[in-house]
Amino acid sequence: MSVASTPPSILLADGDAHSREVFGSFFERRGWQYDVIPDSRLLGAALDKSPYDIVIADVALPGVDSLQMLQDVLRKHPSQAIIALSKDASYDEALSFFRSGATDLLARPIDFLWLERIVQQVVCSRRHEERERISYGFVTSERTEMRFSCRDIIELDTVPLPIVGRLQAIGALDQHEAIRVRLAVQEAVLNALEHGNLRLESRWKEELQPGGEDRFTALRRERLLDPSYAGLAIFVTVLYQDGMLEIEVKDEGQGFLNAPASAAPRKSHDVPCSGRGLALMSSAVDEVVFGKNGSEVTLRKATKRVRSA
Amino acid sequence: MDFPTEIIGEKAYIRVTSDLDTEVAGEALRSAFNDMYDQGKRTIVLDLSGAQIINSYGIGKVLMCYKRLKAENGVLMVKPLSGFVKETFELLMLDKLLPEDKDR
Repeated sequence: MSVASTPPSILLADGDAHSREVFGSFFERRGWQYDVIPDSRLLGAALDKSPYDIVIADVALPGVDSLQMLQDVLRKHPSQAIIALSKDASYDEALSFFRSGATDLLARPIDFLWLERIVQQVVCSRRHEERERISYGFVTSERTEMRFSCRDIIELDTVPLPIVGRLQAIGALDQHEAIRVRLAVQEAVLNALEHGNLRLESRWKEELQPGGEDRFTALRRERLLDPSYAGLAIFVTVLYQDGMLEIEVKDEGQGFLNAPASAAPRKSHDVPCSGRGLALMSSAVDEVVFGKNGSEVTLRKATKRVRSA
Repeated sequence: MDFPTEIIGEKAYIRVTSDLDTEVAGEALRSAFNDMYDQGKRTIVLDLSGAQIINSYGIGKVLMCYKRLKAENGVLMVKPLSGFVKETFELLMLDKLLPEDKDR
């Protein structure tokens, strides 16, 4: 069956047995493939087992932070289309769901004509992306340059790396490798932000202030509001060529390798609260190279050779 | 974001319900920990089963909790770990530092 003619696959997460039956009957009439789970909190586990074009999830769950739940699912499955199902969402709630990444919000009682239209739109868009992914198998090189402010980094949590998703889609990276590469980049960017642009020193993590907050965290917050620090940029260049993924992260600081070492002698049983980012980076990629006193770092990861379809 | 806490006997439990890789999550952990610490609890157990990802930022927050307890002869424990979080703890040898709580 070609990509274009594959029927939509849907995962329905709905706690209402009657509602599940009504949805099921509608999906069957349309010839759509579907699976059902009785609780939206099981979404993450279900998506780990099998991918779906669309998730339709009941988000009116008493005692559950549905927005957080949605964000957690999308963090792990960023391209997943999710239609949130709610009884009476207010305008603000609807806006929150869209901001959290929901594709659409569907109110009960269900307007199935509207649902069909959303599903067709989503599937059409996903099939187009799938065709692009397949054709990507023939692409041998790509270069992307991005510039972020410090505030961007905090708001995004991490930088977008669509190339990693595409390499995963064609089998050049497995899911585990893709997660670790994204995390390695997150570590490099965090390093550029904190030790580069914000000029924070690791030893400040050991200095506790009243209220249990360390000096590092307090200064981090303060400097993120100070344009002389927060106005500095972080540059991320992603290059994929001949099966090698190379990600370069540069900051505008002086380089953390210039930072003074901790003056206080450390007791042998002391465990520092910092210094693990490099270990996490090194474990995720084949090579980590620092330049310009640490204000540039390059991560290299060889991908599997994939035979073009 | 708030992480739920529970006190059972001498132990305080903090359930980490999101990935531990953002400032928001780190602050939620610090706040839950402070709450238990200020109530005099010196054996605190982290349940990280709700976290699929942890990065160096989250690990720094966990170690901050560890150090504050250790300074008062307390102990920070973890519920049995799994998946990526377990792998990360083993990689950084934190599994040797933080004992597992198998009581519940």
